[in-house]
Amino acid sequence: MASLQERLDEFKKSFESGAPPYNAPHEVIETMHRATAELKGTGIEQRALKVGDRAPSFTLFNEEHVQVASADLLRQGPLVVSFFRGHW
Amino acid sequence: MELEALQGINSEVRALGAQIVVLTPELERYTRALHKKLNLTFDILTDLHLKTAEEFRLVFTLPDYLRELYKSFGSTLDRFHDESEYRLPMPARYIIDKQGTIRAADVNADYTIRSEPEETLKQLRTLTASPTD
Repeated sequence: MASLQERLDEFKKSFESGAPPYNAPHEVIETMHRATAELKGTGIEQRALKVGDRAPSFTLFNEEHVQVASADLLRQGPLVVSFFRGHW
Repeated sequence: MELEALQGINSEVRALGAQIVVLTPELERYTRALHKKLNLTFDILTDLHLKTAEEFRLVFTLPDYLRELYKSFGSTLDRFHDESEYRLPMPARYIIDKQGTIRAADVNADYTIRSEPEETLKQLRTLTASPTD
């Protein structure tokens, strides 16, 4: 199977070609590039928590409406936490 | 793609005694549907109003011009997140050790760039092999 980045690159190439199935207009692609460049320019990546920092704890509902606490998970072992923007 | 990629390593992650959780600002009705659709075996947690993402300092507000563009695609984030501001977390993947310290951090403002799940596995192996954890 292709690596995650290879699949992302493939998607990006297909989207930015402007061809079906996405038929993305040139202006849309430009707009997205502009937004990413502006976001990078704010320095937000440098401000995010990094290696060595203490991870904030959390207690949140999962997809079955069960409360999950990071402290409980960490008692069992290390945790991989992925921040995901959404299903869209 | 991130979620499918994480699903691909989940059994190995569990074998190392570790767990994966995904945090998203989306409400439970969306996480439930997504969890089912992708047949995930780890939890998706609703980080309501991005409270935890804020604490990790990952949150940004979409500029007006992008908000309009997403709306035209049908991505109504106000509805997905139950708030009127169009805010999102930067894509990020962290490894936290049992003591609560961040041991790996992959953060990128460009959402088309992600680190490989294999890399995360490798980092976890190193971490779980060390006597301090």
